[in-house]
Parts: sequence; C-alpha cells; structure tokens
Amino acid sequence: MNPQLPNTLQQQCFYNPNDHMFANHSALVKPDPGMDEYWAGLHAGAFCDDQLGYGYMNPNPVAQPVETDQALFLQGNSSSVSASVSPKKRKSQSLQVVSDKEKKTKGCSEGDSRITHDQNSNSKEASNNTSSKDKSKVSEVQKPDYIHVRARRGQATDSHSLAERVRREKISERMKYLQDLVPGCNKITGKAGMLDEIINYVQSLQKQVEFLSMKLATVNPELDFNIDNAFAKEIFQCSTSEFPALGCSSTNSAYFQLNSMDQGGVSYCGLDMGINAAEMGLRRSISAPISIPDQTFLDSSCYNQMQPSGVWDGDIQNLYRMEYEQETLIPFQSHQFTGSNEGINMKTET
Amino acid sequence: MHTSSKLTKEFTKKWLKGLQICCSSKKDMDVLERKKKIKLCADIALASAKNATTSWSIALISEAKKNDENEILVDNLLGPESRFKQQNIIRQMNSCHKRVRSKKILKKSCSISQRMKKMGPPKSNLAAYIAKRLVKKRTQVLQRLVPGGESMDEFSLIKEALDYILSLRVQVDVMRNLANATEVLNQSNSSNVFD
Repeated sequence: MNPQLPNTLQQQCFYNPNDHMFANHSALVKPDPGMDEYWAGLHAGAFCDDQLGYGYMNPNPVAQPVETDQALFLQGNSSSVSASVSPKKRKSQSLQVVSDKEKKTKGCSEGDSRITHDQNSNSKEASNNTSSKDKSKVSEVQKPDYIHVRARRGQATDSHSLAERVRREKISERMKYLQDLVPGCNKITGKAGMLDEIINYVQSLQKQVEFLSMKLATVNPELDFNIDNAFAKEIFQCSTSEFPALGCSSTNSAYFQLNSMDQGGVSYCGLDMGINAAEMGLRRSISAPISIPDQTFLDSSCYNQMQPSGVWDGDIQNLYRMEYEQETLIPFQSHQFTGSNEGINMKTET
Repeated sequence: MHTSSKLTKEFTKKWLKGLQICCSSKKDMDVLERKKKIKLCADIALASAKNATTSWSIALISEAKKNDENEILVDNLLGPESRFKQQNIIRQMNSCHKRVRSKKILKKSCSISQRMKKMGPPKSNLAAYIAKRLVKKRTQVLQRLVPGGESMDEFSLIKEALDYILSLRVQVDVMRNLANATEVLNQSNSSNVFD
C-alpha cells in the first residue's frame, strides 16, 4: 500500500483535525480548513441522530500535552469514515496498515456502539472511564465563567478532551488568520507547515528591517532626519486624503513607486501641482515624491501643468532648505546645494 | 486598515523623534553604529506605538531598557506617564520569565526521567510522535523569533506572532518609504548639480 499514508493519517489525527484528514479517503469529508465544515461533514455522513452530549469545562484549560488526550474523535458510522482517528486507548487497532480498514472500522464501531449507548443516556455518563472526571466536572460547575461546550456524538465528553478540543479550535482559528496574513499560505494546511511559513515570513521581515536601516545609515551620512513631526504627519495625511482609495492598504501601493522615479524630479512636482493646486507649501512638495500613486490614477492633465515652473523651483528651493537647514551634510553636498540653487535660478530666467 | 494607518502614523512620529534624539547626542558615528541606532529607534518606536498592549512590545522595550545607553532614549520616546506603567509591566514580565524558566527546568528533568523509563516512542504512534516533535521544534523557533516569546504558550504565541507580523510590515513600509525618499532627494540633488 502506500507507506506514507499511515503517517499522514496519524499526524492529522492528532494534530490537524481540521485539515485534510480524509483527503486520502473518498469518504465524506472534503479537505477543509474550517473546523465547522469538518464537523458538518461528519454529521452529514456519519450521524443521523441528533443526540449530543454536553460537557462543561473550565474556560482556561491548562495546556495539556497531547499524550493525555484520550478519546479524540470517535466515529459513529463504521462504513463511512475509516478509523483514521482513533483514541489512544485502541493502540492495537491503530492505523499502521491501511489495508486493515475493515478491521479498524469494526473495532471502531464496537467502541462506538458502547459510547453511543452512553451518550444516549446522559452526557455525564459519557465514556467508559470518565466517571471520576464527571464528579470533578460537577464540582467545577459551581465556578463562574464557563464555556459550554457541546461534545458531539461519538465523542468522549471528559473534560480533558473537551478542553483539548477547544484549545485546538482556538489554535486553528488563529492559524486561519495567519493564513491570510502570510502570503502564499493558502495551499498549506497543517500546523507544522504553517508554522514554517510563519517563521520564514517573520525572518524575512526582520531581515528587511535590518537591510533598510543599513540603507538609511548609508544614505544619510549623519542621522540628520531634520524633518518635522508635522511633516511626517503630512506625508500620511496627504497620501490618505488624496488617494483614499489607496489608503495605506498594502506595502507597495499608494506610496512611493520607484518606477516613477525615472521621470525625474520635474514630473513629481508637476504632479504635485496638479493635485494640490492650491497648496504650494513646502511639505506638500516633499510629500509629492512620496505619495506618488499608481499611474493609472493620474490624469494626463497633471503633466500639462508644468508651466509654472517658477513656483516649482521655489518649492524645490524650499525643500532643499528645509532638508539641509541645519547643514550637517558633507561639504560636497552643501556645494551641491548652492550649485543647485544657482542652476534653478538660471532655469527660471530662461 | 484603519488600525494600520494609525499605527503607521504613530510609528513614524515616534521613530523620527527618536532619530532626532539620537543624532543630537552624538556627532561622529560610523555606518554600523548608525545602523544600530536607526534600527533601535525603529524597534522602540514600533513597540511604543503599540502602547504596551501586546506582550511582544513590552518585551522589546524591557530588553532595550536593559542597556543603560538606551534608557534615556526609551524614556523620552515613551513619555513620562507611561514610564510607571512600563515599570510595573516589566516587573511582571521578569517574574513571569523566572516562573517559566523554572517550569521548563522541571519539565525537562521530568521528561528525561520518563524517557529513561520508556523503551522508545511506541510504534503505533510513531508518526504522531514525529509530528509532535516537528511542531514543537517549530514553535521553539518561533518563540525565539518573536520578542518575549519564551514565556508564552502555544496559543498566545500565535496571537503575538500575528500582531508582530502586522507591526513589522508597518515598520518595513515606513522605513522603505523614508529610504527611498531620501535616496531620490539625493539623486535629484546630485542630478541638478550636473545640469
């Protein structure tokens, strides 16, 4: 048979209940990350009755090691769902050889009939060996803040497994969020794989931060970020107010696009003019290169408004003055500053 | 998205403020030192922008505070009111660390004795055992990555990692923007000279 099969089944059985547990079976449940759908599938295929057991448990379950999780899932129907999940107690009937499906299902059904009997009566008399735990359950009821958990049919209702189930559900929910956050995680289902991706992503982000801080250190010869806090606010206010559609949605969108750099400084301020016709403030001009939108958002008319170059030059001068006001630049750059001033002045005259 | 834009603004403000403090203190720094300062400012700004709501931010700040040099910077960035809050929280964190460490030691000793007794992983659950080991290893790695992750159980670790990823993204965005902006300014500056 397939030698890998039992491994994956085992794995999924204990750790990834909401994963493609039954992917290898043509049976009812589709591979689904959603816990609910998994259960729905189970219900649909496996269970006809509506009898569910009730269990009460402490809302803050101690993180239980998986070894103590006794009865994970007990299948109701023998035929439909094969014993890919079986409680630890039934080691002898384990999933090692998939070809023994029939044997397993038989064993399952035996155990299940026992359990369904129990569940039919009262939730508290649930599985075979949980009488003592039931007593503890009763005493626990007096505590406040209880999560009422329904044990599904065919499930053990001892507090341990319920706690474990709730914990697993919480974790799987978080994993779903993480799937949305971390790019490229849609195809991976399975705790270990997901954790892998998360780790890679966090590492890459951290490395990016390092790299960017190094870049900033080299680009700015001395940490002269002489930019007002107000200016900083302006950047984002500008970008968000002008392009509300873009907002601050993703990493590359509304902000700064390197591609548009190629057009040179002129077009930036032209854009700025087009967009902020009224605002000739210094800060706006600075924000122009930063809040460059996608070119699709721009009117072609923006580019036509480059005639009032005088104002633009004035802006540029202001910009440079603001930027290098407290000097702290290498002398070479200060040369550039004065040089550029003259250059700009010359342009305006011509 | 609203929260991320808020976070962005907060972060930028605090980061620039921190950088100003930094550059006012020392004049001569080589590249590596500068880079460290920038990164430190960014990290602290990010953590303080969270306003001590998440444990990773608290852990970051407490770590930064351990270094005496940075204390002034941190205090300035955080603001005077939050100082007392931070101190209390940091004290809690330290005690929590100790508790977790002692728990871990206990666990290790117990598990070692158990392992001596066991013959080995039971064959029937070999795959489960392997899977468990895998997941455990990975959670350990993640704990190391996320600041303050050692003192967290699996569930809250994932939650913290979520939050941390979001804020890291914000940080990277802002830093990238600033880097590009300064680069462009420098470029245009130099290009204007040669015109």
